[in-house]
Amino acid sequence: MIWEDGILVSRGEGGVYGERVLRGQRVWNPYRSKLAAYYYRGGDVDIDPSLRVLYLGAAHGTTVSHVADYAETVYAVENAYAPMRDLLAVAARRENIIPLFADATRPNTYAPLVEMVQLLFQDVAHPDQAGIARANSVFLGPGGVAILAIKTRSIDVSRSPRDVVDDTCAALAGSPLTVEKELWLEPYHHDHAILVCKKQA
Amino acid sequence: MASYWFGEIRGRVCTPCPSHEPEPLSRRLDMLEVDMEEFTPLSWEIARECGYAVSREEYIAVLRALCIFRAENEMARISRQPEQELVHMVRMLDQLDEAANLLMERALEWHAAKDPAFSRKYRQVRGRRAREILSRSEIPVLKAIATEMGHLSDIRSGLSREITLLAGGLLPNCSRLVGGVVAARLLSAAGGLSHMASLPAGSIQVIGARMALFSHLRSGTPPPKHGIIYQHQRVHAAAKDRRGKVSRTLAAKLAIAARIDYYRGQADQAFLESAERAIDRAGGRP
Repeated sequence: MIWEDGILVSRGEGGVYGERVLRGQRVWNPYRSKLAAYYYRGGDVDIDPSLRVLYLGAAHGTTVSHVADYAETVYAVENAYAPMRDLLAVAARRENIIPLFADATRPNTYAPLVEMVQLLFQDVAHPDQAGIARANSVFLGPGGVAILAIKTRSIDVSRSPRDVVDDTCAALAGSPLTVEKELWLEPYHHDHAILVCKKQA
Repeated sequence: MASYWFGEIRGRVCTPCPSHEPEPLSRRLDMLEVDMEEFTPLSWEIARECGYAVSREEYIAVLRALCIFRAENEMARISRQPEQELVHMVRMLDQLDEAANLLMERALEWHAAKDPAFSRKYRQVRGRRAREILSRSEIPVLKAIATEMGHLSDIRSGLSREITLLAGGLLPNCSRLVGGVVAARLLSAAGGLSHMASLPAGSIQVIGARMALFSHLRSGTPPPKHGIIYQHQRVHAAAKDRRGKVSRTLAAKLAIAARIDYYRGQADQAFLESAERAIDRAGGRP
């Protein structure tokens, strides 16, 4: 990852969402992006320029635009109408973003389009985030990494975030993904955890 | 056999799709049935060996054009749905009310500050009455505001009529049960007709009571009895100890009505009559 004086940046065409520019590079704000927060909290899974990425929950394409600055190709899945308009606008100006207007709980609808990827990033507001990760792990190549942003409040507001994450880890047991690391995104995002998983080779 | 967006692989033989154009590719894709149990993710090299694309750049360019084409088509289809328009109309209506109320409160405060005899006790100062008071004011801004509030009020009545009309066509059964505007608000909160038709009655009952619901789930305060449906006259006019029952019954009937609206799209007379009877019974009316 590229750091300038302790600030995470990416190199690409700016002006996507009014982001600040530091010495010609786009500042990647950890308060707006869970993935940026993951790097600020010491995450060490780098996005290198050869990577193909499957991004679930692409939303308005804010984080996607930064990922696309680093990665070779990004397959960006989003299911909601209003954010999709913005995502398409971002994809129109970045030739390595493949926008998919689809539901991440139903990977069969986009399976014939997505190639094998080395990195899966998931940031979806859904009660069954483990199930979505499991279903989409099929796209990960052997040894591939999945970074899951667990939105505990979308899973169950009435329980403690700690318990929700434990349950999510338990739900991933027996799937092709093995949880290697767990990390909380305080103070950037409340009640959000990152699970770094590896696909069995 | 494996089917991908650019062609099919049967054994060791690959049959590429004859076209590179988004439209025929997209039509072919719609026909594909994918079994995830047997799916193996594709690699672009298959497309090259297949003779479909000579380089990675070409592969990505054709794929990207196809995906953008499909997304734009689907977006256009959604934007043409009349229910989307109805959702925005009712949100505009609510926003109009909110803005008009705020403006009126502020204007009356100003008016009262200049007129010590002005009091709102023993009489309702609202709507047309309030506008008349303001239009007689000596303050030019308040006079002008009164005129504009009149315009806003006209816009509101027109919009409300349009909503009732559109909701009557789109949600014939729900509209008959709770009126077009409340039905449209439910639709707006549910986020679309197909979502609304898949909601259980319990959700319809408390939709729009988010604060109360989450406070109940988090800290065990009493659960909300009603959300948007409270606005319906049979709920808010019911005796206090009956309101829970009325809203429960009404929500149950609305859940069925939403399904008839979505899957059949026509008013069902027999259902409506029995639903009305059940709701009246819940309210203690014979």
